Amino acid sequence: MNEKESKVFIFFSELLRRKLSDSQGKIIGKLVDLKVGLGELFPKVVCLCIKIKNNRQTFTLDWERVDKIEEEKLVLKPESASLLLPLEVGEKEILLREEMLDKQVVDTYGVRIERVNDLHLLIAGSELRLVHVDFGIRGILRRLGWVKSVDALTEWFFSYKIPQKLLSWKYIQPLSRHAGNQALKLNLTHRKLDEIHPSDLADLLEDLDKHERLAVFKSLGLEAAAETLEEVEPKLQRDLIETDTTERASDILEEMAPDEAADLLSELPPEKTEAMIQGMETTKRKELEGLLAHPEGTAGSIMTLDYIALKENETAEEALRRFKRSDYHSESSSYIYITDDQGKLKGVVTLRSLLICPSSTLLSTIMNRRVIKVKLEDKVEEVAEKFKKYNLLMVPVVDGEKKIKGVITFHDVVDSIFPDFEG
Amino acid sequence: MKKPLFPRSRWRSWLIFLALVGPGIITSNVDNDAGGITTYSLAGANFGYSLIWSLIPITFVLVLIQEMCARMGVVTGKGLSDLIREKFGVKVTFYLLFAVLLTNLGNIFGEFAGIASSLEIFGISRYVSVPLGALFVWLLVVKGTYKSVEKVFLVACLFYVTYIISGFMAKPQWSVVLSELSSPKIDFSIAPLGMLVGVIGTTIAPWMQFYLQAAVAEKNIKVRDYKYSKADVIVGSFVVNIVAFFIIVVCAATLYKNGIKIETAKDAALSLAPLAGKYCSALFAFGLLNASLFAASILPLSTAYTVCEGMGWENGVNKKFSEAPQFYGLYTLLIVLGAGIILLPKVPLISVMYISQIINGIVLPAILVFMLIIINDKKIMKNYTNDKLLNIVSWMACIILSGLSIFLVYSTVRSIF
Repeated sequence: MNEKESKVFIFFSELLRRKLSDSQGKIIGKLVDLKVGLGELFPKVVCLCIKIKNNRQTFTLDWERVDKIEEEKLVLKPESASLLLPLEVGEKEILLREEMLDKQVVDTYGVRIERVNDLHLLIAGSELRLVHVDFGIRGILRRLGWVKSVDALTEWFFSYKIPQKLLSWKYIQPLSRHAGNQALKLNLTHRKLDEIHPSDLADLLEDLDKHERLAVFKSLGLEAAAETLEEVEPKLQRDLIETDTTERASDILEEMAPDEAADLLSELPPEKTEAMIQGMETTKRKELEGLLAHPEGTAGSIMTLDYIALKENETAEEALRRFKRSDYHSESSSYIYITDDQGKLKGVVTLRSLLICPSSTLLSTIMNRRVIKVKLEDKVEEVAEKFKKYNLLMVPVVDGEKKIKGVITFHDVVDSIFPDFEG
Repeated sequence: MKKPLFPRSRWRSWLIFLALVGPGIITSNVDNDAGGITTYSLAGANFGYSLIWSLIPITFVLVLIQEMCARMGVVTGKGLSDLIREKFGVKVTFYLLFAVLLTNLGNIFGEFAGIASSLEIFGISRYVSVPLGALFVWLLVVKGTYKSVEKVFLVACLFYVTYIISGFMAKPQWSVVLSELSSPKIDFSIAPLGMLVGVIGTTIAPWMQFYLQAAVAEKNIKVRDYKYSKADVIVGSFVVNIVAFFIIVVCAATLYKNGIKIETAKDAALSLAPLAGKYCSALFAFGLLNASLFAASILPLSTAYTVCEGMGWENGVNKKFSEAPQFYGLYTLLIVLGAGIILLPKVPLISVMYISQIINGIVLPAILVFMLIIINDKKIMKNYTNDKLLNIVSWMACIILSGLSIFLVYSTVRSIF
């Protein structure tokens, strides 16, 4: 292909089924697929997949053996016929027709699932590289063989041409999976999927079929997986976590907010819950077991342990230090709870009052003694009533001896009252 | 963590069945749509009980085909048009879906015609009933959620009982019915054979395969729960044929016995009044309305889903119009066309139905062949491909159905020219 050294684009559908001939013009077979090595920004085509007449097997030939790309056929370099090998697809390789064309892929740029109508290839010197994916109507028309007639029609009537809808390959995550572990074949070495916002990822997952969904989920990093899991609807949550390996499931649960994790676990069969909890690190496990002990629909079952509690005789300085060390969500840290030596709830201090008082102030002097609280066994609806009545952001949960056991945030209440709320 | 939070009761499996039930039963009942009721009425009125035996093999084939669809839906989690696109490419898919679109449009005409004529029996003008019907259908789908809509549909299924009641009201001679049911005979002259093909064609229609599989896939059923889906499909297939049975019985016991020839389901309902009482006639008409509305709610939606899924366009009623313009465009177009054409004066409705039946006849064998190829693909179906016996039976059914379809196409074309 050194005759021009030109950079030319070509569509995969135009190459597909072209005849392959040797230098004398004798036809060897026809092109049925191309194999591409993943990992690069614009990956190289490594092999031609060839069908030979009267032979059911598919053979491969290195792309380097292609001498010229002509209108009707591909001309191979001399002696290519003897270099044919049976088809094998490696871990980091993908077949364009088998695994890409007409299949669904994730568009990580527009954050949606698209169906591949065609693939756009770049002829660069002696190399062929995959650069774009075609999602557009034009791709469909091209494959139906209608581009010219439809163009003529729309130009005649509206002076308009249906535009190309191409997206750079770097934003594409194919949904084809490894034969063995069913994980996705990752496009780039880093995980493009992890960069998508968890809520968007949750929507994407809901658009996929169950196998693809699981494969995408398995390909996410632990943190992204945990955040996404918090966003999907409960039924899907169960399916995803149940089908993952117990070990990874435990790791993901550790990353999740404890109350969300507890909600999820309480929906699973007991033996699975047990196995997953056993796999978690001790502190997280204790926390979860505590939460799980409360019956469904009570304050205890939706509370979290993300709160700061201090003794009456501690100072504002101490409180601020504790506050700086904590990494809770902002709404969980707007209050600091004050207890006596037995852990009984005595008062509450707002973050604001901490910031404006001298650092040596005793907490007992600035705390508000009239704390609105709920009991462990209170119904979620009663909790919601209190939130409404007192305009709360967060409420502490106490046991029969008035000892603080956890907190419920506004967010937790909304989530448990509208579990199916979408949007 | 000693106590299980949700102890598994013995009702568990029953609950699973109830949760998974729906697709099969709904599909089967939509199958008894305006076209279906017309065909069964004609069969009963014009040929008496002589075709009633055919419902037994039809039930068998229906179970056979629908079971495969349900299995594909459960195993792959994908719809049929999705699988066809991935396996056979865009070209085949495009032309197939175009044909499916045309035949479904023909069916949608039929449903709106059914709404118009059933309410005309009660004295309501079609210029009132059809626009209201179209609005109802459109709102139900666009404003309702999948769960609520499914419940409405399941209730609509119950109304098919009206046909069973009217079947008893017609006071047939049950001994004759039973003996005809158990003695299959084929009359090879054109008219009864054409009727037989019509009965089969209306019971086993192309759109059902797409709708059923999509609905099953949507439910996200686990492979281990597949048996419940299968039960759903089998129950549904029996229900559809039981209703068909009673419609044939009503018409045979009254109209055929008295030598009254009819051309439409409306004729049937009207002619029933003097013979079996006005309540029987009203029940028959109400059944037709229910069936037409029900099918009119499902067909446009199912068609839009099927086409958009195959072509790779965003779909689903939970998307905004701007996100899924093709989906909403197509859906609305189908309803507007379907309802609009009925309101035009002097529509050659009969020829529209004939053309739709011809396309139906061509599309069905194609879909069956695609289905059988896909369901035997190990890469797609893993360990859930057909076994040898099932393959032999289903290929035979496929060949017989194709033969009948070709016959129907041939005879319809001949009757036009």
